[in-house]
Amino acid sequence: MSADTFDIQAVSPPNARHAVHGLREDDVAAGVGGNEFVLEVNDFSVDYGVGANMVRAVNDVSLNLRRSKVLGVAGESGSGKSTLVYAMTRLLRAPGVISGGNVTLTFADREDEKAFTTLNLVTATEKELRKIRWTHVSVVLQSALSALDPVLRVGREFDEVLKTHRPDMTKAQRRQRAAELLTMVGLDDDRLSRFPHEISGGQRQRIMIALALALNPDLVIMDEPTTALDVVTQREIIGELSDLRSRFGFAMIFITHDLSLLVELADEIVVMYAGEIVEHAGAGELYEAPRHPYTLGLLNSFPPLHGPRRELTGIPGSPPDLSDLPAGCNFYPRCPFKMSRCEHEAPTLTAIDGSDRSVACWLHSPDSPVPVPVELSRTAHPTRDPVTSSEERP
Amino acid sequence: MKTLRLPKSPKVILGLGIVGFFILMTVIGPWLAPYSPSATNFAANLTPSTHHWLGTTSLGQDIFSQLLVGARATMVVALVAGLVATILSVTIGVAAGYLGGLPDDGLSLLSNVFLAIPGLPLLIVIDSYLPVNSRSNSFVIGLIISLTGWAWGARVLRAQTMSLRNRDFVEAARIIGEKRYRVMFSEIAPNLLPVLASSFLFTVLYSIGAYVTLAYIGLTSTAVWNWGTMLYWAQANNAPLSNEWYWFVPPGICIALVGTGLALVNFGIDEFINPRLRAAGLTSRQRRKLGLPRRVRLGFTPVLHAAKTPRVNASPAKLASQ
Amino acid sequence: MIARRLSLYALTAWVAITVNFLLPRLMPGNPVQTMIGKLTGQVTPAEMNAIQLSFGGSFKQGLFAQYLTYLTQLFHGNFGVSITLGAPVGAILRESVPWTVGLIGFSTIISFGVGTFAGALLGWTRGSRLDSLIPTATFFQAIPYFFLGTVMLIVFASNLHWFPVLGAYSQNVTPGWNWAFVGNVIRYGELPVISIVFSSVAGWMLGMRNMMITMVGEDFVLMAVAKGLPRRKVIMHAARNAILPSIANLSLAIGLVVSGALLVELVFNYPGVGDLLLQAVLNEDYPLIQGIFLVITLTVLCANLIADVVYLALDPRTRTEAAV
Repeated sequence: MSADTFDIQAVSPPNARHAVHGLREDDVAAGVGGNEFVLEVNDFSVDYGVGANMVRAVNDVSLNLRRSKVLGVAGESGSGKSTLVYAMTRLLRAPGVISGGNVTLTFADREDEKAFTTLNLVTATEKELRKIRWTHVSVVLQSALSALDPVLRVGREFDEVLKTHRPDMTKAQRRQRAAELLTMVGLDDDRLSRFPHEISGGQRQRIMIALALALNPDLVIMDEPTTALDVVTQREIIGELSDLRSRFGFAMIFITHDLSLLVELADEIVVMYAGEIVEHAGAGELYEAPRHPYTLGLLNSFPPLHGPRRELTGIPGSPPDLSDLPAGCNFYPRCPFKMSRCEHEAPTLTAIDGSDRSVACWLHSPDSPVPVPVELSRTAHPTRDPVTSSEERP
Repeated sequence: MKTLRLPKSPKVILGLGIVGFFILMTVIGPWLAPYSPSATNFAANLTPSTHHWLGTTSLGQDIFSQLLVGARATMVVALVAGLVATILSVTIGVAAGYLGGLPDDGLSLLSNVFLAIPGLPLLIVIDSYLPVNSRSNSFVIGLIISLTGWAWGARVLRAQTMSLRNRDFVEAARIIGEKRYRVMFSEIAPNLLPVLASSFLFTVLYSIGAYVTLAYIGLTSTAVWNWGTMLYWAQANNAPLSNEWYWFVPPGICIALVGTGLALVNFGIDEFINPRLRAAGLTSRQRRKLGLPRRVRLGFTPVLHAAKTPRVNASPAKLASQ
Repeated sequence: MIARRLSLYALTAWVAITVNFLLPRLMPGNPVQTMIGKLTGQVTPAEMNAIQLSFGGSFKQGLFAQYLTYLTQLFHGNFGVSITLGAPVGAILRESVPWTVGLIGFSTIISFGVGTFAGALLGWTRGSRLDSLIPTATFFQAIPYFFLGTVMLIVFASNLHWFPVLGAYSQNVTPGWNWAFVGNVIRYGELPVISIVFSSVAGWMLGMRNMMITMVGEDFVLMAVAKGLPRRKVIMHAARNAILPSIANLSLAIGLVVSGALLVELVFNYPGVGDLLLQAVLNEDYPLIQGIFLVITLTVLCANLIADVVYLALDPRTRTEAAV
């Protein structure tokens, strides 16, 4: 089902050592756990509740994230995007339960740059998880005001995380590191002695970002970090994130409902609907040449700042009820291009255009009775696609 | 108007059961009592027997009858005091919260002052100045108890009103021109009900304690039978030290049970007000069967070890096509 | 911020003082006048004078003049003379108040400590077997203080002889700041303190539990876990915030504890203010009643003030009124 195959370059160089946790031998042989991918998710499912009242919030999701790349996860509220990402790092709150699949994180040792360790987050113990948390995976939550302890000074948050994971640092060193981090995001280090409620929203969010980068993680997860901010600050922060990423080389997963933010920031975008991936493509491609009707709808909901005026269409209907999904395609009730096949058969995520792109829609299947609608067959300029950048497409 | 959900929590059901039982005792107790509580024609200091289920006092009175009859005064005074105090706290609290500004400042000050002055000493002082014949009037006693017990409810209701006042639906009512008192009555009041109920129960709890304490000290008239008076007589006749447990333990236990019942019901209301307090999900046995850890630990999302079930959508046709 | 609380307490003190002044005059039958009438001949003229002054001087003056006299007397420490004990009320209180303050102080500190700790644990480990503590604690909270005290006295002191029976210290020890005495006082204080703690701990426990559960649902606690902090530190994040309302509610709680503790003193024959109050009430010893009421109120207000200061120190959000 997943579009990824591993070609020869994906297998790690023979002289790199592997520490493998939670993987089977044949996984390792197949190249899973190689150091090209920082995160690999296979057939991952998450439920809320168990038994009769169970609701599946994420259904059989698979995706990979290459080192230092940015993956955008887009969708409406209730699409499962937050559930997916939090569950991947085992941070999902009750009554969430992981009901299947694997999530492997591959990271380099601190000492030996060439030694990579792979950990299956789904089977990891608490102790293992605590070790990789913040050191290799960190999180930036949506609202910085509620994410920071209101009775502690900001500096304490930095000090705490440095003390826990770098016990060899002295207090002065920690203070210095914290100051460094703040300078990195353009803040004065006097912020450290302030309380969260004394700092403005934009600055708070920058502090969260600085905090997330404190231990130079391999992966940073951003959960709608700019939603609560005004547009101008939003823009600034997105720009800074891009900058920081090129400087420090961390991979990023950026959750948002606003596709327009992802166009510049993300390398690849995954669009989710009703807990499943409906489209997976490079950012530029997705934006210019969407293939799934839902993606089209999302794009049309946001007026671009530049370019010709477009009619805003939005998406008719309301978000799906996860406990009462339609038979067949989840998007069927709201799809402007629906066919009769869509009503009874659920499409699976398949590769299209012979590339790394995939979409879950019968319109693009080779035996589709109708031609692909014009809106869904545009051509993208082959500039930003990270995998097949040199390929020309018709 | 939210639909009334029947309480499912065992705590709440138990609490309601206990309170219901004692309300029943209040109503039919005196009718059920085998003898008059004041009648002294029995042998003194009898231990429990079939004639006297709880034995007799030093004066030869039947303790069981005293218990049954005493329920009425105890419960009634507590309920009346609770009611009056709640009316006071609603009036003052809601007005303060809704009107804001200077009236709020004044009323809040009043509440804070009454809150800061310790209740029982104030009660004792007021009661000691009462002429003796007033002390036998349960209504008067209930009134002064409510005077010392309204402040907490007023503060809570004020806070709740203030948070409701700024909500959208209240704004909307104001904008379309609803009169102030109408807004207060039809928009704010229904949403105050849970907090009000909780406050009422808490006040009744306090009132029982206050009334029983006053009676125990001897500040109420001994002509009215209540559980506190029983304890007063028991103490005066040295029952505890003479090991006459059947005299002083039953009234104390009854008081404790009523209190516990009220508190348990309050739990239920708390859970209704604050959804986070509701117990989420499964019993520990169910969890164990599914391979889940007994307790959900924050930050360690559990992983189901049972075989993953495929997602079931509405129509069987989808299953058939898979 | 502190200035506001201070002025509130000053106001409350003033209200208490004024209530003390007005009450006897509001009651039907003018009890004070009757009392003074009855006393003539029973007390020395000097005492008579002191009593009359403590109530506001001659009744022939206007009400306001009496009020001023009353206030002046109060500030000079003239609380009147106790009818039953024949000594100035101030002197009597100076003897008993320390016992009461000590008893209530210790009990509250222990109860608060144990209660919030247990509550934090209960809130964090929600759904575990520990939850069975809740109905037990609720039950204990509903038992009147004096009843529990009596039962404990019977079971543990009288019958099991684990604790001494009555009083604050044994007869054969000389009072004073020596180790033997202090040790003895502690020994005699154990059961009363335990009794008060059992009666009051449930309130702290349940309040803290509820707040802890609320806190666990907050983002910053999730952050603490996401940071990979050891479990203890995560709990501290939640607990530090959860405890704030308990401290804010200390004022209400102290009032209840004081009320209950007075009765426990009665049960255990503790030489504090409780027994004095009861005797005064039964004997209609109004000067003493008034004096005790004032002292209790002022002590409670002081405790409230301390609690407020602690709260202000712990919650930084109270220091700056508006966020930037």
